[in-house]
Amino acid sequence: MKTQMTTRRAPLRLSLGRFITFATLGFAVCFYGIPLLWLFIAGTRSEASLLTDPPFALGTWEAFSRTWANLTSYNNFQIVTWATNSLIYAVGGVLLSLIACIPAGYALAASEFPGRKLILVLTLIAMITPSTAVVLPIFLEMNLLGLNNTYAGLILASGFFPFGVYLAYVYFSTSLPKGVMDSARVDGANRFTLFTRIALPLAKPIIALVAFFSFLAIWSNYFLAFVLLSDDQLYNLPVGLTALVSGSGALSNLPSNDVPIKKPEVVLAAILVVLPVLVIFLVAQRFVRSGMLSGAEKG
Amino acid sequence: MSIASTTTHSAAEARDRARRAKRKGQRDTRMSYLLLAPYLLLLMMFGVFPVAYAFGLSFFDTIEMVFWGLANYDFVFQDFRIPASVANVLSFVAIWVGLTMVGVAILSLMLDSIGRRAANTLRTIYFLPGAVTSSAIVVLWLFVLDPSVSPFQPVLHAIGWDTRADVISGIGLAGIFAIMAYFSGSGGWIVVFGGALSSLPAEVMEAARVDGANRFQLATRIKLPMIWKSLVLMGILSFAGGLQLFVEPQLMGLAGPQFAQNDWSLNQMAFQYAFRMGDFGASAALSTLLVGASIIIALVIVFATKFYKLD
Repeated sequence: MKTQMTTRRAPLRLSLGRFITFATLGFAVCFYGIPLLWLFIAGTRSEASLLTDPPFALGTWEAFSRTWANLTSYNNFQIVTWATNSLIYAVGGVLLSLIACIPAGYALAASEFPGRKLILVLTLIAMITPSTAVVLPIFLEMNLLGLNNTYAGLILASGFFPFGVYLAYVYFSTSLPKGVMDSARVDGANRFTLFTRIALPLAKPIIALVAFFSFLAIWSNYFLAFVLLSDDQLYNLPVGLTALVSGSGALSNLPSNDVPIKKPEVVLAAILVVLPVLVIFLVAQRFVRSGMLSGAEKG
Repeated sequence: MSIASTTTHSAAEARDRARRAKRKGQRDTRMSYLLLAPYLLLLMMFGVFPVAYAFGLSFFDTIEMVFWGLANYDFVFQDFRIPASVANVLSFVAIWVGLTMVGVAILSLMLDSIGRRAANTLRTIYFLPGAVTSSAIVVLWLFVLDPSVSPFQPVLHAIGWDTRADVISGIGLAGIFAIMAYFSGSGGWIVVFGGALSSLPAEVMEAARVDGANRFQLATRIKLPMIWKSLVLMGILSFAGGLQLFVEPQLMGLAGPQFAQNDWSLNQMAFQYAFRMGDFGASAALSTLLVGASIIIALVIVFATKFYKLD
């Protein structure tokens, strides 16, 4: 009530403030929204329409299906191979990260043992260090082990997800019912039974959260995949996308060649990289909120 | 559990109990390590070992496999491209961190001052570009920066930029990479700060309002100081991430050979050493320096701040 009255008493200054606020927020909507909106519309347009029509002209179903056919059939359905690879890396990597993160987070949260503090510190360092910093060292190591250019190499490397361990650790240290745990221990349950009977049934939200973040990290991994994989049959979608562009020169505005990959096909391939994440974002926004909060705010 | 009786047995009982507890403790330790085993294996394989291996390798001539001390580091520091890439990366980081801190703070505070439903919708819009990652960011922005197809065509033409080369030289590479990274990365932070701001104590806000603070004063005098530490953490994390820049410059060549920037950033140089020159030792030396910088930043965050829960 009080605020509304003050608002009315000083209309001029506040309305200027409101104007600036809404103008800034509106400008930001354009900055964040327009490129994304354009991308999805451009997927339906032909090359000629992209170059001559206004930026937001809608395409046609016919143009879209021709682009789709060009893209999917190009080079013996290579993009299908890449999409399948992306799925293999994602499923394998997410499963591995769950197998590693959930029990580890539980052990760190539920018990005291020698070496615990060291593991926690190493986990935090590994989590704060950008994953791009260790890509070349991992390449040098994989070269030593002969795991370059294998599904296993990339899956193993992407299963290492210290942020997931930290999330699970924070989750278990705040949500395990101490009373239940204690009485179960008195009844003679060992740590492993405690984990499988009490902690795991409570862990659904954290499993989903860790799976969500590790999927995002793995699906969009370009640098590591690019460095580890040189066989184009093993590429994931982000690396495939760049191979498609550099192989066709579709973005270079040079005189055209007879490769069927033009701008619309590149747009569509980029949509394939973006769309799964976009859908998951829209479905699981609250995960992001809670997860990022515990990653950046708890302390 | 009963308190031990004061009979002659008590000493023996206590000893017995201590032994049992110790055995149980050892069993617990073993069980904890069993639960940790898969993670520890990965931590060794992809955290500790690669860093240690690169560190070790950096002291060897990897072509002849002989120890040669600091020669790789010397080689890296003598490379005329290194000072240029240091300058490049620092200018990128300066623009990006500045953009992120100012942009995220302003947008978060403004969103907190408008209606909840509108704010949530806008937050979602700001957040969605986070789905555009790695190579897709570069591909999308190569379109957006090309006046012949760009959705911002009218704006670019109005400024007088008619080709992609005009736009790129007009904004500058560091600025372009910063815009790309900000476009994809800032929305997530805006969501985080939305949560942080909405959980600030309501009494404080009410008290400030009663004292006659307007929205602007509320935002700058009350809310901003309360989220300041988190903003600084975001800045430090962005700084650490920015030092490792690779994808954006590496993929500029997609726009054509005249746009290629193969030795623009430090990580690209480390990549060049390993892949173009086959000199793993030099690559290891530069990687070690880059990882070292990240680890020092991480240590500062872990031990000098209370952002992350250690116990």
